[in-house]
Amino acid sequence: MGEGSFVSLVGPSGSGKSSLLRAVIGLQQPLSGTVETDLARSQVGILFQDDALLPWKTARDNVALGLTFNGMERRTALAEADAWLERLDLAGFGDRFPRRLSGGQRKRVALAQVLAMKPRLLLMDEPFASLDAIVRARVVKDVVALVERESISVLLVTHDLEEALSLSDEVYLLSQGPRARITEHYPVPIPRPRDPVHSRTHPAFAPLYERLWADLSREVDHRAEAA
Amino acid sequence: MRRLDPRYAWLRQLAAFVVVLAVWEAAGRAHMLNPLYAPSPSRVGAALVDLFSDGRIWPHLEATFSAALGGLALGIVVGIVLGVVAALVPFIAELLEPVMTVLNAIPRVILAPLFVIWLGIGLASKVALAFILVAVLIFFTVFTGIRQVDRRLIERVVTLGGDRWALVRHVYLPSVASWVLGNLKIAVGFAFTGACVGEFVAATEGLGYLLSFAQSTFNAALMFALILLILAVVLVIFGLAGRLEKHLLRWN
Repeated sequence: MGEGSFVSLVGPSGSGKSSLLRAVIGLQQPLSGTVETDLARSQVGILFQDDALLPWKTARDNVALGLTFNGMERRTALAEADAWLERLDLAGFGDRFPRRLSGGQRKRVALAQVLAMKPRLLLMDEPFASLDAIVRARVVKDVVALVERESISVLLVTHDLEEALSLSDEVYLLSQGPRARITEHYPVPIPRPRDPVHSRTHPAFAPLYERLWADLSREVDHRAEAA
Repeated sequence: MRRLDPRYAWLRQLAAFVVVLAVWEAAGRAHMLNPLYAPSPSRVGAALVDLFSDGRIWPHLEATFSAALGGLALGIVVGIVLGVVAALVPFIAELLEPVMTVLNAIPRVILAPLFVIWLGIGLASKVALAFILVAVLIFFTVFTGIRQVDRRLIERVVTLGGDRWALVRHVYLPSVASWVLGNLKIAVGFAFTGACVGEFVAATEGLGYLLSFAQSTFNAALMFALILLILAVVLVIFGLAGRLEKHLLRWN
């Protein structure tokens, strides 16, 4: 993966997309093979589908948490947390507990928590699946703007082919598991900076979508016949 | 049907209570109730005033409070420690769980006479009874709680670079605290049950001791007065526990 590139992994359920992300960040051991990276552990951030904020900590304390783990003084970490909350449109919500935030706001806090660590690589596992359409479009737009600005590399796992194509520079298709492997590779020639909604109207989008959809369907059918 | 305004529920409840008291009082004065079994509210009130006016209630209250709060504190501390250790060390869990399960299944107040033999009729046997009631409750709260800590929270802290100590401090301790606080009212009730039953069995002072004295002298008015007093005491402690819970669990 090149620096600052946005890569998506798509594939049928059970192809091990999530396992791959968990292996990259060290939550689980790969069954075989190795994860090669020139990044330190603290330079890799991960965002899950259900953003597990600590319920007993305010939004600000949640964002500051990772910073204090990496040796930042608490006071500085809190100031930094406030700055990140502001950047994610959450100014004034720092004192709220997660329970008193909406789903979209919680997602933004989780994002602030991860981005505050200044990761060089951001892993995302279906991060927007739990949000409703409008909120999702807004959060996605902000994420794209932030990772483009900070040139953070992103590895996104998703079921949503449109999302994969509209956000990524490259999409990889994983075959049906077990023993899933990468079967196809699709470079996406839509220029940056991107607007995730408008990139869907780019002339390259529709043909790519057709191809990706056909390949994914074949992958699923193929396995269904073998079974 | 007309809907009742929920804001005035307390007023209706209070009114109903006053009516019951009035009927009871009237029935007593009309000699329809035997004062030996059901003394009228005014006699109970008089007995209550009596207890406080000559000041002889204070040492009894002090004894019961000491036993209950002492047992409560000890029970919470020991319950948490055993629960945490059992949840983290499988070998300890193997040994402790059956014992605790048996202790949980039996009515633990049956241990009261045993504690009197072991510890005498003083404060210690009451503290022990309150302690055993509370400790078993807290043990299971913490033991099952730790095994159900949200894995996502653990992964979140780990992926943000937190070490083992960070996990204890930011995930396990707050979780344990929230479960214990959630059960604090039940624990307070258990502690007072232990103290009063212990005093009832064998003691020289305490509200339970006064109750058994009222029983042996067939003093129904005193008994009612004591029941009311214990009720009031527990309600006050419940209120305090509720406020503490509300403050510390304000994130919930």
